[in-house]
Amino acid sequence: MMNHTPLTMRMCIRLLERWLAPDLADHVTGDLIEQRERGILWMLGETLSALWHLHARPQPGDGFVHTFLADLRIAARLLRRSPAFAIVSVITLGLAIGATTAIFSVIEPVLLRPLPYPSPEQLTFVWERNRDGTRENVGFATFHDLAEQSKTIERSAAIGSWEPTLSGNNNPERVSGDRVSWTYFRTLGVKPALGRDFVAEEDVPGHNQFVILSDGLWRRRFGADSSIIGKPIAIDGNPMTVVGVMPASFDNVASPTAQIWRALGYLNQPFACRTCHHLRMIARIRPNVSMAAVQLELDQIHARLEKEYPKDYASIGAKVVSVQDEMTRDMRPALLALSAAVFLVLLIAVANVVSLQLARAIRRGEEFAVREALGAGRSRLLQQLLTEGLLLAALGGIVGLGIAYLSLPLLVARLPVELPRLSAIHLNTASLAATTGVVLALAIVMGLAPSRRRGADLGSALRSGRRLSGGSHHATRASLVVAEVALAVMLLVSAGLMGRSLVRLLGVNAGFDATHLLTLEINSTGANYRTNESIYAYHDRVREAVGAIPGVKSVAVSNQIPLGGNVDMYGVIDPDNVPANPELAPAGDRYTVSTNYLATMRIPVLAGRGFVPTDAMDTTNKIALVSTALAHRLWPNESALGKRIRIGAPEAPARTIVGVTGNVRHRGLDATTTQQLYIPERQLFFADNQEILIVRAEGDPAALAGSVRQAIAAIDPTQPIIKIATMDQVVAASTSQRRLALVLFGAFATAALLLAIAGIYGVLAGSVAERTREIGVRSALGATPSDIVALVVGQGGRLAVVGIVLGLAGSFALTRYLQSMLFGVAPNDPVTLVGVCALLGGVTLAACLIPAVRAARVDPSMALRSE
Amino acid sequence: MTMLGELEQIVLLAVLRVGRDAYGVPVHDEIQTRAGRDLTLGTIYKTLNRLEEKGLVASHVGEPTPERGGRRTRCYVVSAAGKRSLEATFKTLRRMATGLDVGLEPT
Repeated sequence: MMNHTPLTMRMCIRLLERWLAPDLADHVTGDLIEQRERGILWMLGETLSALWHLHARPQPGDGFVHTFLADLRIAARLLRRSPAFAIVSVITLGLAIGATTAIFSVIEPVLLRPLPYPSPEQLTFVWERNRDGTRENVGFATFHDLAEQSKTIERSAAIGSWEPTLSGNNNPERVSGDRVSWTYFRTLGVKPALGRDFVAEEDVPGHNQFVILSDGLWRRRFGADSSIIGKPIAIDGNPMTVVGVMPASFDNVASPTAQIWRALGYLNQPFACRTCHHLRMIARIRPNVSMAAVQLELDQIHARLEKEYPKDYASIGAKVVSVQDEMTRDMRPALLALSAAVFLVLLIAVANVVSLQLARAIRRGEEFAVREALGAGRSRLLQQLLTEGLLLAALGGIVGLGIAYLSLPLLVARLPVELPRLSAIHLNTASLAATTGVVLALAIVMGLAPSRRRGADLGSALRSGRRLSGGSHHATRASLVVAEVALAVMLLVSAGLMGRSLVRLLGVNAGFDATHLLTLEINSTGANYRTNESIYAYHDRVREAVGAIPGVKSVAVSNQIPLGGNVDMYGVIDPDNVPANPELAPAGDRYTVSTNYLATMRIPVLAGRGFVPTDAMDTTNKIALVSTALAHRLWPNESALGKRIRIGAPEAPARTIVGVTGNVRHRGLDATTTQQLYIPERQLFFADNQEILIVRAEGDPAALAGSVRQAIAAIDPTQPIIKIATMDQVVAASTSQRRLALVLFGAFATAALLLAIAGIYGVLAGSVAERTREIGVRSALGATPSDIVALVVGQGGRLAVVGIVLGLAGSFALTRYLQSMLFGVAPNDPVTLVGVCALLGGVTLAACLIPAVRAARVDPSMALRSE
Repeated sequence: MTMLGELEQIVLLAVLRVGRDAYGVPVHDEIQTRAGRDLTLGTIYKTLNRLEEKGLVASHVGEPTPERGGRRTRCYVVSAAGKRSLEATFKTLRRMATGLDVGLEPT
């Protein structure tokens, strides 16, 4: 029958047999086996209880584990005897360990873990490098030439974003995907789980109606049907054949949100030009070739291309960035700052618990003196203290793991979806290992701290028959409090700077009026929308239908909106001043808009006129509006009105500038370039089949969402309507990363502040209790209550001031690393610094007052009589 | 003679009630049924060990059975000293309770 015993039971029996006297183990395990149907939990509980109660007392010569168990029992008993200390310490440690574990669980997969591909260090992105060091997507021709000519690159692929509509069964859905070279998955080194990879013949225009699905999309939309391989599915109204499904484990770090891939098929297409920068290039470099060698070679190839096509390049070289670095580029500063912050919180928590322990150690002085007098050696006492530290740290670790387990999903839900490897974030072996490491380190710190001063005066403590005076412990506790205050100052300054940055950022004039605006994306793909005119007509019908809804003031369409995350830029060429290399012409965000776009967005027209309905119908006299910044860039000293421009290429038709608008923040509230270009919808050579509908409401824009959706669906139910959001939400979303960092820093700073206050309070309360007699003598000698209050507050105040000064110095040293997360405030922003000092000063005073008042109430006669 | 502790009283009474074959499990179940207390086997054996050291119970090793994975039981019986201890303890309690309405008056 023992053959079928479950693992847990075997483990319990093993434990009992190992640690109990043999005959005792026999009876107890026999009882457990007899009662095994009571379940695993019961068995575990009984085993622990039996180990606890029945294992033999350690004898001299017993092994380490016996002594350890005995020590653990003593430690647990001691903790139970001072529940307040135990609870406060465990919660303090638990919060700090929980925060540390949670942040580590985010950082480990995102920043530290190697990419989930074979030889990930060989994977790089390749960009074109501009004069100012910035980078740009590559054009297909450039990608093709680099891939052909490079000898350091083993294999490479181009990636273009693609957002197809999955049509069919009347449930249209827009999904995020990529168009990729047939070599894409081969470059990464992954294979589909079902079906096959793309082949070269599919990466050819006209033959590229083949797709590979992500595991998630396959399960969600196609019910995990494996017979789908080789069958067509309807995409943008066209049948495309599914050739493969990627494995569930495939982590697509290059585009974390992509769910479907289609063969690129760009070769010799008009948009496969050198100046059409809409592809990313990923490459696997040959083994044992350094990144620098690749950089050098690609620069050389680029130089040859530049010579060969002098009018096609604004870039001056290639930029090779390892995929690992690239993936975390945007988040790295924030994540590193967060780990630093959480580390500070951990330090403060430890300082607090050590401080509490020291207070306890003073009271336990006699206990230790007795033990030593009875013959316990120093190392034996140290072992006991380390065991106590370990118990405390381990309890904190368990609470911390619980907190991390609960808070991690909340944290992940707030991380940007573009963050690669988001799905890899959960409590795992690595986080457990990290937590264990932290617990062990804490155990050592907390075990050693109270033992630091054991020694010479122990015997004298016994002889004196009085409490040990805690002189040097007080000094240690005081310096711990100073350290806590200093660390809290640093965290508060960081959080304050981020908060002020966000306020500054939201105070930026974005150039339009975001209130009362509803935005949503409408689509026009499939057989009914093959011509530009059919798409324009659809837009007109949608605008008309939505405009008729009560509560709608005006409706406009545009191919993009400010802060919406799109990048769609066109070179703007002054025909009277064509640069030798047209690629060096200034670029503007291209807005192809309906007549009342500017009015709906409330973007001011500062010179000339806005669009009028007749512009849309007039396809001969082409016009444009430009933003002030673009006008100034093109004609610094002249009016732009009446000037002519060509957009995209020198041979494009000329347009007359009829108006100059205010600038809008397109790429972000913190964006520096705000060059825009507005063109009437029917005057561009193509129609966008994804458009943003902008609705200005009389009242709450969100309340209109339902009726707007209905009105559009009534026109064509096969077209998906997505990304419904108020413009206020769009603006807020553009700052979500900053908000998240602020919330986390704010939480850490608050925790630090509370712990520091608790620290100051604890030190002062302890000191007042110890000095009762001294205070009594002072009162007896004529000190007034206010003298006593001043004495105590002064003691706390000195600690706080030293802490604040040190903290400010630390902030000066550290906050410059936050620079990239700040906006409109300097790292040494005086308002923040003064504010933090005032805040800490205020709360310190409050923390001092309670013990101070208690001290002032000391009755001198009582205090003296008690001696 | 010192008073028995509460746990000692309960375990002694349980062993008496079970009679023959009073090993961990039946003693545990008896206490759970009668006193409504779910003691762990560890607590029970610890108390029994203490009682045995004091000579208040005696024990002998029982037979191994297949239900116990071939392990033997240790069965306890209350010794004469054990019974005397219980009697003395209850007598003390009753004397203390005399004249008080606490449900422990001599009958």
